[in-house]
Amino acid sequence: MSLAVLERWRRLEEEAREIRRREADWEFIEKQPPRIKAALKYYIEVGDLYIASRIAGLTVEEFNDLRKKAGIPNVV
Amino acid sequence: MSFNPFAIADTCLLIDWAYWRRRDVLFKLFNTVFIPEAVLREVRSEQTIEWVATSLAEGYLALITETSDVIELATRLVERTRLIPGLRGVDMPEAICLAIGKLRGYVVLTENRGALMAVDLLEELSSVTVWRSLEIIREVIKRGLINEEPEKIFKEYEVDTKHRFPRTDLEVVLHELKG
Repeated sequence: MSLAVLERWRRLEEEAREIRRREADWEFIEKQPPRIKAALKYYIEVGDLYIASRIAGLTVEEFNDLRKKAGIPNVV
Repeated sequence: MSFNPFAIADTCLLIDWAYWRRRDVLFKLFNTVFIPEAVLREVRSEQTIEWVATSLAEGYLALITETSDVIELATRLVERTRLIPGLRGVDMPEAICLAIGKLRGYVVLTENRGALMAVDLLEELSSVTVWRSLEIIREVIKRGLINEEPEKIFKEYEVDTKHRFPRTDLEVVLHELKG
């Protein structure tokens, strides 16, 4: 396995995380119920829609709508 | 380049794609786009359900049921990605799509970064083609299925879906399309 490829992915992950953190509507996020808030924060850090939707107790599309309302871009 | 006329799409890709004003161009690129049954449980909005149902009725989308060999390979992929430090683990929904991509040669359509990393880093997935919306739109433009300024088309997708293409990747694709 190429360490250079792993390093490139690590950089891409970090760039995407920074964009999500920067553009998120934190005021909206902090007002959410605990489960939703935790899921949105998980999404900002990891960017995984499926797991975030499971944390929120929503379907993937329902969580994706919430992501949009929270101003978090899907960076892929 | 020739590629398989079949693709398999996961939920993450479809729920974004359904909001793009030119979404049906996908069916000019592939004969049939298969979707795992689980996708139907994950869509909720009227816009997406209506599009999925209409496309199923017209035969552009088709349901695929996971067979035991697919589930076995998918489970192994889930485990393998969790044994490699630095590699993001894939979960069963994406692993199912990757397994079908490997076993059937279908192009895997996904926005899941774990799936993209797995194909890039795992030798056993090196034969699998994975496209994000970025690569799908690139192919659409290359094949002349939409004849407009590439920048405008990518921007349109971002506006319609609240998606963000990584700038570096987008620049590479735009350069390729202009070259």
